[in-house]
Amino acid sequence: MTTAAPAVHGPTRIPGVLGALTSTDHKRIGLNLGLLSLVFFLVGGLFALLMRAQIAQPDVQFVSDQTYSQLFTMHGSTMIYLFVTPMALAMALYLVPLQIGAVSLAGPRLALIGFWIWLSGGLVMQSGWLTGDGAGRDGWFAYEPLANGTNTPGVGQDMWVIGVMLAALGMTAMAACVAATIARRRAPGMALLRMPVFTWTALVSVLMVVASFPVLILAMSLMYIDRHGGHIFSGFNGAIDYQDLFWFFGHPVVYVMFFPYLGAAAEVVAVCSHKRWFGHTAFVASIMAFAALSMSVWAHHMFTTGGVTNQYFAFTSTALVVPAGIEYFDMVGTMVGGSIVLRTSMLFALMFFIQFLIGGLSGIFLASPVLDYHVEDSYVVIAHFHYTLFAGSVFGFFAGVYHWFPKVTGAHLRDSWGRIHLVLLAVGTNLTFFPMFFLGQDGMPRRISRYPAHPGWGTLNLLESIGAGIIALGVLSFLVNVVVSLRRRQPAGDDPWQGHTLEWATSSPPPAYNFELPLPPIRSYAPLLDRRHEQLDRAGASP
Amino acid sequence: MVQVGLLAPPGALVDTRHEYDHLFSIYVPIAVAVFALVVLAIGFAVLRYSRRAPSQAARWHEHNRLEGGYALALALVVVFLLYLTFSAEHRVDTVAAHERPALTVDVTGAKWEWQFYYPAYGITARSGTVGRQPLVVPVGEAIRFNVSTIDVIHAFWIPQLRYKRDLIPGTTESATLLFDRAGSFPGQCAEFCGLRHADMVFTVRAVNPAQFAAWARAGGKGVPS
Repeated sequence: MTTAAPAVHGPTRIPGVLGALTSTDHKRIGLNLGLLSLVFFLVGGLFALLMRAQIAQPDVQFVSDQTYSQLFTMHGSTMIYLFVTPMALAMALYLVPLQIGAVSLAGPRLALIGFWIWLSGGLVMQSGWLTGDGAGRDGWFAYEPLANGTNTPGVGQDMWVIGVMLAALGMTAMAACVAATIARRRAPGMALLRMPVFTWTALVSVLMVVASFPVLILAMSLMYIDRHGGHIFSGFNGAIDYQDLFWFFGHPVVYVMFFPYLGAAAEVVAVCSHKRWFGHTAFVASIMAFAALSMSVWAHHMFTTGGVTNQYFAFTSTALVVPAGIEYFDMVGTMVGGSIVLRTSMLFALMFFIQFLIGGLSGIFLASPVLDYHVEDSYVVIAHFHYTLFAGSVFGFFAGVYHWFPKVTGAHLRDSWGRIHLVLLAVGTNLTFFPMFFLGQDGMPRRISRYPAHPGWGTLNLLESIGAGIIALGVLSFLVNVVVSLRRRQPAGDDPWQGHTLEWATSSPPPAYNFELPLPPIRSYAPLLDRRHEQLDRAGASP
Repeated sequence: MVQVGLLAPPGALVDTRHEYDHLFSIYVPIAVAVFALVVLAIGFAVLRYSRRAPSQAARWHEHNRLEGGYALALALVVVFLLYLTFSAEHRVDTVAAHERPALTVDVTGAKWEWQFYYPAYGITARSGTVGRQPLVVPVGEAIRFNVSTIDVIHAFWIPQLRYKRDLIPGTTESATLLFDRAGSFPGQCAEFCGLRHADMVFTVRAVNPAQFAAWARAGGKGVPS
């Protein structure tokens, strides 16, 4: 690694941990956010393992009903507010400025403040465990009137409300900075349609955050007032009003938890196929349609309430088939005619598309009110959203980690550990979540801490619990891989994969202000591939 | 006569289980086929296009007309699925609501019990944390359930009927359901409602109309066999 030349307008550098925690470098903020999200991932995973221990067999009591309700609430809340969503933002914070040739983030201090507000929210939410009545216990969407002061009294639930509010506020600030960076800081030549696929997925995600998270902040503020004598939601239709507010945030956020990972997997597929992403324009159009639709499907979570227009939301939800289909078409179109290398990152990316497909296809069932009347709030829904939110994020995330780890650290991750990681994660995911389709179909509702010994339920639940353990081993093998790879470094160089996008045109890790050499000309969304093609052509013309 | 197969025969009482199973049986093969197609496409691409020198990779990267046609085909699939879904939904939600019920049951949810009140007979049955009195219903007749709650949101779910309805505070919702066979079927609250949500269960006892009439005449004493 070459030492960076002193930057002309370099900031006052504070050394050590304090410096790392207060840096306004987008890469540092992104890394800090990513690392803490990963810690929350382990915490949320631990909650899941405890839950799976409780329901591994019928009619047992490993944890109390009270604890179980806290575990599923905090599992969902930790994963959604403190891992998958912030991790998506972390990747955007780190990569977007590099991909668009920007030297820094727009509004870096706001992003830094956003990070700290988000972290405070996470800590407040988790601190609920230390209170007398325990952590939040009304599920990650905390429906009214269950979550009001009469039905769920106590400080722990208040801390959950404030924690969610702060986490959402912090993420909104960080997302706004990414959006502003894309609007204002693109390098000369980086037209919008020349932005790489990942940056496009990040852009629609941060726009959705900015548009929908304030509604969550509002809902949580109203809930806090409601819990303390305000009785906001106890009037006529209050229960439905809360659900409308919540899901207006709650559905867009599931796409925020998907798009950037889709973008990461797409970049990996393109680079590992030695061919630029197929159908970039159609992809951009489809992802914008995707985002627009996903902001108008929220009430499909409310088909069974009788309080919404089911046909409209069935229409918008089923229509998601079109943009989703385009993405799969483009993925296959990228590989066809390419020169495919099955790196660990590529295997994770392909698994991402296959696993998410199960989630997406089951989602089409849930978009039909008649089918949803049966499976809503059953284990079918749990299976569906773990194939989308867990498999459809984590496989893309790990594809991205194996792809960009050399850029971030300058060292390769080990392939051998990577393959173990992939196999364990894939086996564990399907063993845990596929049987849930059968359980839900057979009538097992979500969020029950105990269940009677219906035929087959004990066996399927035991398989799921074993699967959860295998997922945990998979995550453990990843951590081992990181430690081994950082201890005994295999230097990667600046561009180990023949990357397509600008982050591969700088050193690994990139210096403060990102680029020391002049940027290559930007004539498409794969400027480094263009340069490689030009060199090939020149060599071919003068043998 | 050849039945087209998309709609239930007219005149029959709406059967939610039949509507669900019918729709499900069309959705599943489509989903399985799409899944197989994508996996095969990925497998083909991997087998066919690995082991080539990077310089041999093609440079074409766009075919907007092809993608437009593909999007149109997907849109037609959407229209087809929505046609099926809306037809079924019309029957389950609208046609059923216009049926003349043979029996009305007022279902009230509370933490953590079900109260089933038969206004025509003055019978009340309770189930959940307070007991295990079954919900007794006649087979083959339209039954109107008026569902409401006195505290938080609950959901009235009978998996056998492939149907559930939320109990929303401040409103009474109705569902008209049909049991097509006799037997005991589990029912459960499907919306998390607090500490003992798991215990908010009930059993449906579907009996033939004569048995039901005898049970109702006896004031709901005992469980008809």
